[in-house]
Amino acid sequence: MRPLPQEDFAPAPRPASAGLNILVVGVGGQGVLMISKALALMAQRRGFAVKQSEVHGMAKRGGIVFSHVRFAEQVWSPTIARGEADMLIALEWAEALRWLDHLRPGRGVFIADTRKIVPPFACRSRKLGAPSAYARETPADVVGRHADGCALDATGIATALGDSRAANTVLLGRLSAWLDYPVAEWHEVIAAIVPKGTREINRAAFDAGRAWTPPAPDEAPAASAAAAVAPGPDLRIGVSIDAAWCKGCGICVKLCPERCLAMDGPKAIVRTPAACTGCRVCEWLCPDFAVTVRNEGVPA
Amino acid sequence: MLDATPKTTCDQKAPFDPREWLRLAAMPHFMCPGCGHGIALRALLAAVHDCGIAKDDLAVVCGIGCSGRVGGYIDANTMHTTHGRPLAFATGLKLARPDLTVVVVTGDGDCLAIGGNHLIHAARRNLDITCLMLNNEVYGMTGGQASPTTAATRVTSTTQSGAIEPTFDACALAAAAGAGFVGREVTRQAPALKTLIARALRHKGFAFVEVMSDCTEIYGRKNDLGEAPEMILSQKADMRPEQHRDAPDQPFRPNALPTGVFVERDLPEYGERLRAHAAAIRGEITP
Repeated sequence: MRPLPQEDFAPAPRPASAGLNILVVGVGGQGVLMISKALALMAQRRGFAVKQSEVHGMAKRGGIVFSHVRFAEQVWSPTIARGEADMLIALEWAEALRWLDHLRPGRGVFIADTRKIVPPFACRSRKLGAPSAYARETPADVVGRHADGCALDATGIATALGDSRAANTVLLGRLSAWLDYPVAEWHEVIAAIVPKGTREINRAAFDAGRAWTPPAPDEAPAASAAAAVAPGPDLRIGVSIDAAWCKGCGICVKLCPERCLAMDGPKAIVRTPAACTGCRVCEWLCPDFAVTVRNEGVPA
Repeated sequence: MLDATPKTTCDQKAPFDPREWLRLAAMPHFMCPGCGHGIALRALLAAVHDCGIAKDDLAVVCGIGCSGRVGGYIDANTMHTTHGRPLAFATGLKLARPDLTVVVVTGDGDCLAIGGNHLIHAARRNLDITCLMLNNEVYGMTGGQASPTTAATRVTSTTQSGAIEPTFDACALAAAAGAGFVGREVTRQAPALKTLIARALRHKGFAFVEVMSDCTEIYGRKNDLGEAPEMILSQKADMRPEQHRDAPDQPFRPNALPTGVFVERDLPEYGERLRAHAAAIRGEITP
């Protein structure tokens, strides 16, 4: 499915008569269900049969939320099988990657927010500024290579409009560029389901998403530049033990969360200095003032 | 009238380096491996640094015992006094030199048994002294005799079949005797201990801080409490943070001691009252 030119910027929309399988994914609190509700209402207005199925139990802890929206002349199953989604709307980048295999191979449309929400369990190293275990794929790895569509900083667009929570509506606006439904009708549907006080910002966010155009190619790589942090030992952090003062009580060795200290006979030594995160537990708890931690990020 | 404002200050914005505060010629100190008193000493020095108190304005008064030796390693004005009497010496010092920050470092036996009377009267008078009681539940230096805080069933050299006496709650005693500031912390929570001592140092009036310390060699070994790391790790189960004071016992032990600040109240400070009183009397006598 190719997007066709719409007005002067976007590709031609899909005919309104055809049914669609749309998968909306994100994490808790982003408004996945608001998008699917708007889609379902819109499809109902066109006289389609609509089925919607969702999982939102993990919403409060930033867990996965997804919603299947299917509409056609007749819909039997409420869920979209792998490889059968016509469109994938992702409110979070890692979720976009997680659900990529649900798109129709070669024909699916991919619309994703590039903003990352890094979960705590992806932060495996406690070192200052350490890279997380978050997905390393960039939008350039996906859009145009594995799926057609676009990846945009919807959260940034919404923040610029005054409320980052309208990012879902920005993506809904982008999605609307592929569907042949009148803009006025979208505005009506959105106004009907969002809280009264947020109608204006959601309308603006929808229009901004619908009018979004990809940045010039030379601007694009800016997002991935930050990820290229040089690996290697962090010279700002370090631990040392004064053997003359150490009495070998073993407190530092047993209490170091990174286990970078060890007993060497009657004295404690630094076994893996690179593992030190500069947390200062050993320094605080050494009764003999033998441990010194250097950490320019955290004061003593 | 004596001036109570300190003459110098130190730069508390500079990073804290304990070696600047220690008498390096005396180091390493005499305490046993894993002794909690060393951790308490570091927390005290860090708190003094945080409060911006200069070495020349700090006076540390110690009694007898392992805790009594702590002051000797501090590169400031220090006094090693008789058993149980550091608070009495500190009272005289603070009245004569109100510009000094007077810190008393004492132990459970020194403060509660031999010096019990001095504690209650120092608390009653509310003179501006910070009293740090290092509670390791035993007389460590003299061979491990039972102290007023030795827990029931613990084996010491004077309770070979287990202690049977009830223990002293030093914080409750100090609060009841009238101290303006009372708090307790374990050495395991050294940064929190530092913050607590800093609050005590800033408090105007008698501030009593009980530090739950570990005696590894004399007490822990005899009672199978493990090596130094096991002892300090077990402190987590032995304490109950202040915000959980009224919580049911789980997950804390039934006899877990509360930690945190128990009393913080503004009471008339004894030194100021005494000086004003003395000036008033002199005013009456001289025409």
